[in-house]
Amino acid sequence: MRRLHAVRQPEVDERGLALMSFCGHCGVPPITEVSASASRVCAHCGLGLVLQAPSDVAPRADEPFLVIDSTLSVCAVSARAEKLLETDETVAVNRHIADFLVPADANAPSAENLLVLLVDAASGSGEPRTAVVRPRAEFGVRFRARIGPCGPPHAALLVLID
Amino acid sequence: MRTLKTSEAALLLNVSPNTLRAWERRFGYPKPQRSAGRHRLYTHGEVAALRDALQQGLSISSAVSRAREALSTDTHTLVGALTGFELERADIAMECALALRSVERSVEEVLLPSLDELGVRFGTDSAPWAFAARWADGWLRRAQRLAPPPSRPLAILVGDATRSEIDPDALAMRAFELFCGRAGARVMALPIGSVTGLGDVVGALSPNALVIAGSHASDDDVAQWAYRVRAASGQLPLALFRRTRQGAKIRSAAGARLLPDAPFGAQRQLLALIDDRPPESFEAPPARTLRSTPMSAREAQA
Repeated sequence: MRRLHAVRQPEVDERGLALMSFCGHCGVPPITEVSASASRVCAHCGLGLVLQAPSDVAPRADEPFLVIDSTLSVCAVSARAEKLLETDETVAVNRHIADFLVPADANAPSAENLLVLLVDAASGSGEPRTAVVRPRAEFGVRFRARIGPCGPPHAALLVLID
Repeated sequence: MRTLKTSEAALLLNVSPNTLRAWERRFGYPKPQRSAGRHRLYTHGEVAALRDALQQGLSISSAVSRAREALSTDTHTLVGALTGFELERADIAMECALALRSVERSVEEVLLPSLDELGVRFGTDSAPWAFAARWADGWLRRAQRLAPPPSRPLAILVGDATRSEIDPDALAMRAFELFCGRAGARVMALPIGSVTGLGDVVGALSPNALVIAGSHASDDDVAQWAYRVRAASGQLPLALFRRTRQGAKIRSAAGARLLPDAPFGAQRQLLALIDDRPPESFEAPPARTLRSTPMSAREAQA
């Protein structure tokens, strides 16, 4: 029997911003079966939960990203970020984000500080911002990062752009 | 303890059975037992804890971590009860553990780790340790009495080479006996020092395997005892349990098999050895660190 699929329609948050759903592991937007129940588990990979973020922050399928809570603990690492940072989500969760990524520019003003941006975003109040980060143990490698709120529950989304 | 089949657990979590199996491979949770027909059986408590954690989680990993944390409260409760010398509360902590897990997992995940923690905290030559170990020994004996009668034509003779009933190895040996008994075997533990009349006991038991448990008795005493058992029963598979520091001489002379330190892993491997089949795959819990000889709290801290 042919299975019917439909792409979930974009939603908006309380501020009227368009929200995009994506899997916290593979990053793929969820494809919901008609009459499917409301499971948050990604139907595509089965290894992540479906999260939402403003569409200008949400990752594209090929972009690595991490999800960080307000205590700055890593809560999710996408499959691409696992490869990029040479870690495993099962090992990385509950560890401080500074164990993996640190600001690349040590002279950035405090308002631009990576950790401040992440806490702001995790509280749900932060506007999408960008920062430059590097892996903790590597020098000479830099990534631009897009930071914004995601959830539920409230958390910060850090997307490594290039 | 309530168990769920794969389809039932998947339904409770609102995922497919394939997803559940993928989680088992990637996260090691929920960790099913196996039925007699080798089908997965999930404990309801584990699945329910994960379901609740998923509702508030940002990833499967963080939900698994939270569910594990919820389940580990039993260990904290038992440690707290034994530290406060509250036997009734200790019994209740084990009852709670049994509501979520099998007897085997309750012993390996709650009882033995709690005793480990107390041993490290107070030292295994301390009165609090002795108090806790006596309680644990009593609990394991009660569980043994409640185990179903032997259901297989299988007898195991255990040579008790531990120091005393409150030796950490003795508790592991008691757990091993319990698990073998629950697998349907008849188990008899005799001290290594009991040599007189040993042939009569062996003749009556007709063991299928001989296990030397504990590292207190010397290799010479163990070898002498094992020789007498084999003289009475003929060649038997010989295995060593928690005898890692000693036993090299016996291993080389008698071809003894070294069993894992964890009682359930040891039981599985011994049954496979008796049945002459490759051991079933199992995840051996990390080796416990307590020494069998008395250790002061200061040594433990160092």
